[in-house]
Amino acid sequence: MALVSFARSSIARVAVLHGLVLAASMVAVLGGVYLGTSRIIANEGDQLLTLEVQSLAEDFREKDLDAFVTEVVDRAEDPWVRGGVYELRGPTGDFLAGNVVVLPELAAGRDGWAEFDVAVTRGDANASRRIRGRITALRGGFQLLVGHDVQDRHTFREVMLRSLAWAVLVTLLFGALGGLWLGRRISRTAQAITASAGRIAEGNLGERLPVSGSGDEIDALVTRFNDLLGRVESLTTTMRAVLDSTAHDLRGHLNRIRGAAQDARNGAASPEQVRAGDAVLTEIDRLSGTLQGLLRIALAESGTAPLESVDLSAVTADLAEFYQPVAEPDQLHAQITAGLMVRGHRQLLAQALSNLLDNALKYGNGSPVNLTLAAVDGRARLCVSDGGPGIAPEYRELATVRFRRLPGSSGLPGSGLGLSLVAAVARLHHARLELGDGDPGLRVTLEIPLDAAPAAT
Amino acid sequence: MKILLVEDDRRASEYLAKGLRELGHVVEQAFDGETGLAVAGSGTYDVLVLDRMLPKLDGLEIVRQLRAGGSTAPILILSALDEVDERVQGLRAGGDDYLAKPYHLEELAARLDALSRRHSEAGPAGKLRLLDLELDARTRKVTRAGRKIDLTTREFQLLEFLMRHTGQVVTRTMILEGVWDYHFDPKTNVIDVHISRLRQAIDKGFEPQLLHTVRGAGYTLTEDP
Repeated sequence: MALVSFARSSIARVAVLHGLVLAASMVAVLGGVYLGTSRIIANEGDQLLTLEVQSLAEDFREKDLDAFVTEVVDRAEDPWVRGGVYELRGPTGDFLAGNVVVLPELAAGRDGWAEFDVAVTRGDANASRRIRGRITALRGGFQLLVGHDVQDRHTFREVMLRSLAWAVLVTLLFGALGGLWLGRRISRTAQAITASAGRIAEGNLGERLPVSGSGDEIDALVTRFNDLLGRVESLTTTMRAVLDSTAHDLRGHLNRIRGAAQDARNGAASPEQVRAGDAVLTEIDRLSGTLQGLLRIALAESGTAPLESVDLSAVTADLAEFYQPVAEPDQLHAQITAGLMVRGHRQLLAQALSNLLDNALKYGNGSPVNLTLAAVDGRARLCVSDGGPGIAPEYRELATVRFRRLPGSSGLPGSGLGLSLVAAVARLHHARLELGDGDPGLRVTLEIPLDAAPAAT
Repeated sequence: MKILLVEDDRRASEYLAKGLRELGHVVEQAFDGETGLAVAGSGTYDVLVLDRMLPKLDGLEIVRQLRAGGSTAPILILSALDEVDERVQGLRAGGDDYLAKPYHLEELAARLDALSRRHSEAGPAGKLRLLDLELDARTRKVTRAGRKIDLTTREFQLLEFLMRHTGQVVTRTMILEGVWDYHFDPKTNVIDVHISRLRQAIDKGFEPQLLHTVRGAGYTLTEDP
């Protein structure tokens, strides 16, 4: 598992890529040097050999055969001092002179060039030397092989190739290590940024991403992002301020209107005036209720509501017990796992749950209402279901829109804000909200992340 | 009861003062924070009503200064700010109660009444008593005319709350806050149902009836309605 996630991580990709690029450049450089030097050395040797072959061919034309054979014998006398091998064969392939016997089996390449190994005995030691030679066809069907010892050249090439292989291997290793180090650095930066971003997403808009101070591209990106966050924060603060001042203003006005209406009603002279006054007061109260609902939604949505460690089990149990008397006997069933803590807003959670229970009891037509709270995969799953008509799938999304009341609910009291508040409270708590099928009826599921670090008691 | 009302919204202040006077209270008014603090320091009042946002001196600041000066006068903070979190701040600053605008006059009057009177405390034996209704806060036992009455934990808490406010009007929101510690708005008449259950338990089959509904305001537990 760890290996798979390592392979998927950007560190691994950077490390491998870095190693490969370094190794490839090493191959290119060393390979170039190798090819260059080995060609120079080879050319030089081949030119010398060609010159010797030419001078021998000239001798063959000018001298008679015996003199030429003697010359070849002379030259071949001490091959490992002069480093030359010779072999002369007659038109019928008979050996005339030389210090090696290779010609019959030797397959020559282009222009008669060939390479072969010759065993030599020097003192007690047996060694194999590499020879590069050229087979020349002389007039009259004679064949002459002239070769030079290229063992040193050969050894040089082998050493060179071996060094090249090692160099590539070592670069690959160092490249990977370097890449790993580089990747770790990038990854640490990325992790720090991820952690900060997480806290920002949770509503801590004052937080900024860490700037390393190195002035690199990541710093530039982070700085830009922080500027953006600054703007978001100031916009949010402004919005909250506008919200607060609007709320303050509206509540102030409503308060004066209510005062005036109450005053008028208290001083009413006739029963008609009393009734009119009561009607006005009722309307004002309804308006205040709607305003309060909207403001609570706005508070939840602004993400600025302070969160604390809340015992969701206790809140759920309280609400179940609170609503029990309004339900029919044996109508409201609660199944609550104790001790589930979440980071939340106790009052807003209670309001949301109250809205859900209120809806279930109101729209459930007296059917059983089930309230369950359980821990599922690190989340507290709160579920309220009733056996009423439910909400058709195509209306479920609409149900959480402000002031949107669903078909068939017009005869029942309600502001059209109940589920919107639940949705807003869900967002505030990073919770998943699902309106599903209770089969029959509506099943509302709210999954709130459990508090990872419960407050010490 | 003598009330000091510090509220910069003059018209709201007038309506409130008039309403409270009609209920038989003596009301003095101040219209900014500095005057309010000075008046509160010089006179003796049964209860102070402070607006949260006042010119010259903020309502919370007045509370802090009064408390720092050793004043123990009960203070109710009125606010047009969002009540959910502001409430906590108001109480933390030293306020005794908090009410969001727009408020009902009956609600405010009931809260002021509750604030100004010393709550009935359980006696040395931990007992609260109203006529033949007796509640023992230690053993969690309730009896009426010597007969044991079985109550759920919450019904017991509700009765205890009402008995501590014997003779006073308590509103539905006061009950929700005092007994359940929630400030949400139950859309249905849940509190009424809880009260009627309690009434069944403590009044049914007994005379006189002790738990009464006060129309347009809330409930009161008293021997003479």
